[in-house]
Amino acid sequence: MLRPAFLALLAAFSAPLAAFTVNIAAGTPRMVFLQVGLGSFNGLYDNGGTPLNNTTINKVSVTVPAAAVGNGTAQAMTTDSAQAHSFWDNYVFCNPPQELYIGGFYRATNNGTGTVLVSATVPTALVDGAGDTLSFGKVSWTSRGNGDGNIAQPFPAGTFNAGTVQTIGTIGQNQWAESCWTFSYKNDSVTAAGTYTGRVLYTLTAP
Amino acid sequence: MRPLLHCAFCIIWLNVALAKTTVIDDGGTLPYNASLALRWQQPSPRSPDANRMVGTLTLRVRLNVSPWLRRSGRIYLALPAQQPGTLSARWSTQGRLLAGQVSAGGRALVYAGPLTTPFIEDTVQLTLDVDGRRMQQAYQVNFRFEMDEE
Repeated sequence: MLRPAFLALLAAFSAPLAAFTVNIAAGTPRMVFLQVGLGSFNGLYDNGGTPLNNTTINKVSVTVPAAAVGNGTAQAMTTDSAQAHSFWDNYVFCNPPQELYIGGFYRATNNGTGTVLVSATVPTALVDGAGDTLSFGKVSWTSRGNGDGNIAQPFPAGTFNAGTVQTIGTIGQNQWAESCWTFSYKNDSVTAAGTYTGRVLYTLTAP
Repeated sequence: MRPLLHCAFCIIWLNVALAKTTVIDDGGTLPYNASLALRWQQPSPRSPDANRMVGTLTLRVRLNVSPWLRRSGRIYLALPAQQPGTLSARWSTQGRLLAGQVSAGGRALVYAGPLTTPFIEDTVQLTLDVDGRRMQQAYQVNFRFEMDEE
């Protein structure tokens, strides 16, 4: 009695089977984005936005009053970047001009928990028009972000290592990382009056 | 003891007979072999969803239910277990079929009731969600519609 029923079921499953398929592929398998200071984005990333190139080079500066030069009191620096919002979700994350935004993301489809490094190429010194110098090692920064409380920052506080390429933060795979930096000048030596400038280059390196 | 065992067997046999499942001919579905480029889902800095990739496409589903005409049945959309592994699908419809979601290895009800026309048609917005860390290559994701006759 079982055999006819079994055959009927078998026939139902062995008939030509029609079934639709979807061929999937990663549209953008690898992406990196780094923004230091002012950046540009086409929309917001959490709404499908994509990064744009922004060639602006922002400046962080301080004018030390003559009476305070070399007195050992650190001088807070400010930035000409107006970047307060995160392009991730438009959240007001930093407070310019006191804080400089630094952030980015790293996307990859490999099965890992890797991170990418963000480094700073630091010149030996800031130089004025007369050739006088100030070590970049006199410039430090603290790190925070609105709403972050006391959690560890992906781009933590530090001090420039003059004349080196130093790691200044990491970005985890498939994560957006961002911090707000407040710079200060150590002001522990008397130097010739002048305008001292130097440029630090920030680089994100992904495998 | 013997009569009781005999009855138990009968009950099991009836259940098997009632649960007849047949794959439905969906050959009229367009596109039938679609391509879909996935994008990264929201890259929350501290979110467990940071590794997900998603993509959405529109399908014109056409199911040939003529073998069950003037009968009742339950239709499921099945997503067999397959690569790339942690895979799920969700969909919305125009109302002829039911909206729903399914993970790989499962199926979800999309229709229940009498079959009064030889074809069931609907426009389906299908969204696939996969673990982006497994998307180092392309995959063909297979679906099928199944009929459970009542």
